[in-house]
Amino acid sequence: MVTGSSSSAWSAASECYLDGVERDPVIEEYKKHVDRTLLRENLKLTVEQRLRNLMELQKLSEELRRAGRKPR
Amino acid sequence: MSVDYARFFAVLCGGGVEFILVGGTAANVHGSARLTQVVDIVYRRSRENVARLVAALGPFDPYLRGAPPGLPFRWDAETIWRGLNFTLKTALGPVDALGEIAGGGGYDELLAHTLEIEAFGQRIRCLDLRKLIEVKRAAGRPKDLEAVAELEALLDESGG
Repeated sequence: MVTGSSSSAWSAASECYLDGVERDPVIEEYKKHVDRTLLRENLKLTVEQRLRNLMELQKLSEELRRAGRKPR
Repeated sequence: MSVDYARFFAVLCGGGVEFILVGGTAANVHGSARLTQVVDIVYRRSRENVARLVAALGPFDPYLRGAPPGLPFRWDAETIWRGLNFTLKTALGPVDALGEIAGGGGYDELLAHTLEIEAFGQRIRCLDLRKLIEVKRAAGRPKDLEAVAELEALLDESGG
């Protein structure tokens, strides 16, 4: 079972339970904005493919950051 | 700097280091689409394992991330033993080597909440999705709200 810590700012407001997972109204609100299509695509991949995608994303992020620092 | 996961896992597993993958990379293992720039691990706090961790990462120039250049820092077993959580930059990429995490404890407490994954020819212990959600919630940082929401969505999508 997943339980929030009493130190958590948002878990204190948790009330409802489903499938053994504490449901927090704040988190539930955030969940409405999660792009599940991306998650479904990721879940079709192997763990290694997911990590390779992450590495590509990190490289892209680094290149963009570098480009942003170049004098215009 | 990006993380070279293939080399990182080969180095740690090859060196016999007992560790658990946690944090953003563990979230990606479970299907998260969020970008993380760091690999977080919880290493077992035994003298033997600390020595193995030091030997494994030693050749990759570990240094405190964000510390001013020239600040004395010695990557050795005594330093790790006297400390606990180290945020490092290494030649393999940024690494957070953690002795404990909030809401989860250390390696021995977390072990029952892990699953074994296979990637890049290595078998790696990774924190399971439910525990990952629990520790992210325990961290209680506002920036984790979106991450927790995504992880819970993943739990829904993967059938809980």
